Amino acid sequence: MTGNRALNIVLGLYVLLIFIFVFAPIVFSLVFSLNSQRFPTIPLGEFSTEWYEKILADPDIWRAALNSLIVSGCSAVLGTILGFATAYSDFRYSFRFKGPYLALILLPPTIPLIIMALAMLAWLSRLGLSGQLWSIIIAHSVLTAPFAMAIIRLRLQQMDPDLEAAAWNLGGSEWQAMRHVILPFCAPAIVSALCLTAAVSFDEFAVAWFVSGLNKTVPVAILEIVQGNIDPQVNAIGTFVFLTSMTLVILAQVFFISRQIRKTS
Amino acid sequence: MSDPLVTFRNVQKRFGDFVAVRDMTLDIQPGEFLAIMGSSGCGKTTTLRMLAGLEQPTRGEIRIAGRLMNDVKPHDRDTPLVWQSLALFPFLTARENVEFGLKMRGVDKAERKRRALEWLDRMHIGEFADRSVDTLSGGQKQRVALARSLVMEPQMLLLDEPLSALDANLVIRMQGVLTQLQKELGITFVYVTHSQSEAFAMADRVVIMSQGDIAQIGTPKDIYRAPANRFVAEFVGRNNILTGTVKEASSETTRLATPAGTFMVETPETEPQTGTKRSFVVSADLVSLSLEEPTAANRVHAKVISEEFIGSVVTLFLESGDGQEFKVQMQERQLMNYDLHAGSQVWLSWETENAHMLDGD
Amino acid sequence: MTKRLDLYALTWRLPIILWQLVFFVGPVLFMVAISFFVVRNYRMQPAFDFVNWEKMLGRGYVWDSYWYTLFIASLSAAIAMLIAFPAAYALAFRASENLRRWAIFLLIIPFFTSYLVRTFSWYVILAETGVLNALLGYVGLGPYTMLNTHFGTVVGYLTLTLPLAVILQTVTMANIDRTLIEAARNLGCKPLATIWRVVIPLSKTGLIIAALFCFILSFGDFIAPFYLGGSQEPTLPILILDTTKSGQQWPRAAVVAIMMMLTLFAIAFTAIALAYRKPKGAR
Repeated sequence: MTGNRALNIVLGLYVLLIFIFVFAPIVFSLVFSLNSQRFPTIPLGEFSTEWYEKILADPDIWRAALNSLIVSGCSAVLGTILGFATAYSDFRYSFRFKGPYLALILLPPTIPLIIMALAMLAWLSRLGLSGQLWSIIIAHSVLTAPFAMAIIRLRLQQMDPDLEAAAWNLGGSEWQAMRHVILPFCAPAIVSALCLTAAVSFDEFAVAWFVSGLNKTVPVAILEIVQGNIDPQVNAIGTFVFLTSMTLVILAQVFFISRQIRKTS
Repeated sequence: MSDPLVTFRNVQKRFGDFVAVRDMTLDIQPGEFLAIMGSSGCGKTTTLRMLAGLEQPTRGEIRIAGRLMNDVKPHDRDTPLVWQSLALFPFLTARENVEFGLKMRGVDKAERKRRALEWLDRMHIGEFADRSVDTLSGGQKQRVALARSLVMEPQMLLLDEPLSALDANLVIRMQGVLTQLQKELGITFVYVTHSQSEAFAMADRVVIMSQGDIAQIGTPKDIYRAPANRFVAEFVGRNNILTGTVKEASSETTRLATPAGTFMVETPETEPQTGTKRSFVVSADLVSLSLEEPTAANRVHAKVISEEFIGSVVTLFLESGDGQEFKVQMQERQLMNYDLHAGSQVWLSWETENAHMLDGD
Repeated sequence: MTKRLDLYALTWRLPIILWQLVFFVGPVLFMVAISFFVVRNYRMQPAFDFVNWEKMLGRGYVWDSYWYTLFIASLSAAIAMLIAFPAAYALAFRASENLRRWAIFLLIIPFFTSYLVRTFSWYVILAETGVLNALLGYVGLGPYTMLNTHFGTVVGYLTLTLPLAVILQTVTMANIDRTLIEAARNLGCKPLATIWRVVIPLSKTGLIIAALFCFILSFGDFIAPFYLGGSQEPTLPILILDTTKSGQQWPRAAVVAIMMMLTLFAIAFTAIALAYRKPKGAR
């Protein structure tokens, strides 16, 4: 079976190549953020923390970071509440028009962000809600809710459907059962959903750019920097952005996804 | 007899077009161990869930201790249920599981803990009180589930196939635990099962359900010896069912002509009409076997087809000349008195008092 | 069943419905509405006028952009699917369960990290004096112009779609019943023929859905064609961007957006119909 082994090696190398393509931009961004060259290339220039010093001294970046923190935090909470309520309604009840109800919450990610951005901009300014951090939060709650819904729904799927009824049977009202059974059971999924929705919101730039007005978030700030010219500051900001997103994704993984994978295998 | 604890009056439950329970009227006495038995989809679990308030009857009345319960929410009832899946809360310890109901009822923390530990000790699992329920064995979980329901000190405990997940040895042990508990506490147990051995081993009375109807209510002995109809006779198994035409009926006995021969059967309360088609059953363990032609009034010549051993009990399958099947059950050591093999010719006989006529044909 | 107001059930359902109606259905419908509004003195005024539709549909560059976007998004979806296939095949059939899980987890990570930063990184890598040309220089090749070309645009699209294509293909193929493949091999089907005649037909639904997602993502993206493709030929998303951001012509942007959505619906509908169509002769 040497032919088979050779084929396995070739396929293995091929998979490696794909991973290189996927992770090259991430790795290079990290490397270049610590490189002195104004226009980074190979061979690398000297090691330098110049770009980090620059962004840390820039009040605009700090403001954007604060905005991003507020936006992703609030959108995560709102999106997770929306996702949880939908997941629970889907799990617990069957009712007429359930299909459209689910579509209402699940469809937004299938619409291109640029279209959502335009629609949100037009509608929110009509309602007098545009140009504020709240506008981004509202839009992001709609965009992130499906992710939360999916994660929490999967968790509910693993729950013995008798568990909630068991709580009623032992004298708990529906609200008590929610508080003492459903929420504790879903807790890991809820934390995980909060992390993932925060990560999605933290990286979203199209809608944020359109509706934010003067309240830039970090990705919008990046967008405006790269529009002008090549500026390795972006790599330094990018590193922070990656670290934040990665922390959130890994937290989500620790809380839920790994558990999920173990359970389903 | 005292007032019944539970009354069902003409209760119907439908799910869309599906009728789960058709028209149930049933009394449950305080302190009795009642088993509701039937195959899946017969309505037994729906009946139990209506008692717990998890389903509302479509029609009819359910009363507990005289109070009309139709619209009472599950959490306003005193009807703890031991679930088939056990439904233990996986994120809580054994003790927290047992405390759950008390917490919902607002019992204070110290009191909760004391009562929970008391019940865990009583179920011999006190040492596992602070273990997560996921780490307990099947039998231990079962005991936690029982403690969780009984700590509420209910007047009635509902059990939905609680032993179905356990292995055979454990089932026998838990049957002992359950009957013991029920006697000690003196409360009503309503026990839903598809297992005849569980129902007959534990219950004072058994309700047999079929397609949403009660097929028979009676003591295990009644049902075993005197099944009311063909469904029960077949469900209980180990019965020989013969069908024939009524030739002559007196108040004592009825003569029935079947393809396998003419037999005498005890006359039921309403005398059967001559010429009608009726069936009767003889339990397999009440049929005697002999090599010589017996003198008994009911006898038939048959050929051995096969035999089946379950422990020390053996069931012989036989066939008479006209194709009627017979089952005979006896102890293995009894069988050793005969030298039988497939094709052996033997005589079967039974007493008239053991031949029980069924309702309908 | 008794019909009564179930406060508890409604608490979990109604607020969500209202929120999504106001902040999801609302914006989308309003966008359709403003495509009929008119702009006077840089202000949008409610109207029911087809002027925006006539203006936009009557212009050659809009249609050029339309066909170019369709073409480049389809091309890049096809490329993503082709490049992903051998990797997905390897992960589905040659890798251990554990390795496959890890690979999928790693491929999920990019979805939650900044696409913007990754694109900027590509910009630096692909530039005339960038990393890739420097590396190629060592083996005596290049330099090649990769930025501001179709190639650049496609690289950007692939950044977005390739991980997804590999994940969806892998999951689809890993779910194929192995005994069917063994049966084909046992009946004398050669390995490549097995892929073509057994693996691909069995994973048809998953493959079409994967391709559809790749297309949707590329079709709606404005970052790759803008920064890596240099918007030489503007795609529809760039058209929306320009019309909204610089021209204040929201109604005209809405027309383009609606064109995009209708196209997406039509393609998604066709793809889903194809994906779930029973093969000929099946009952």
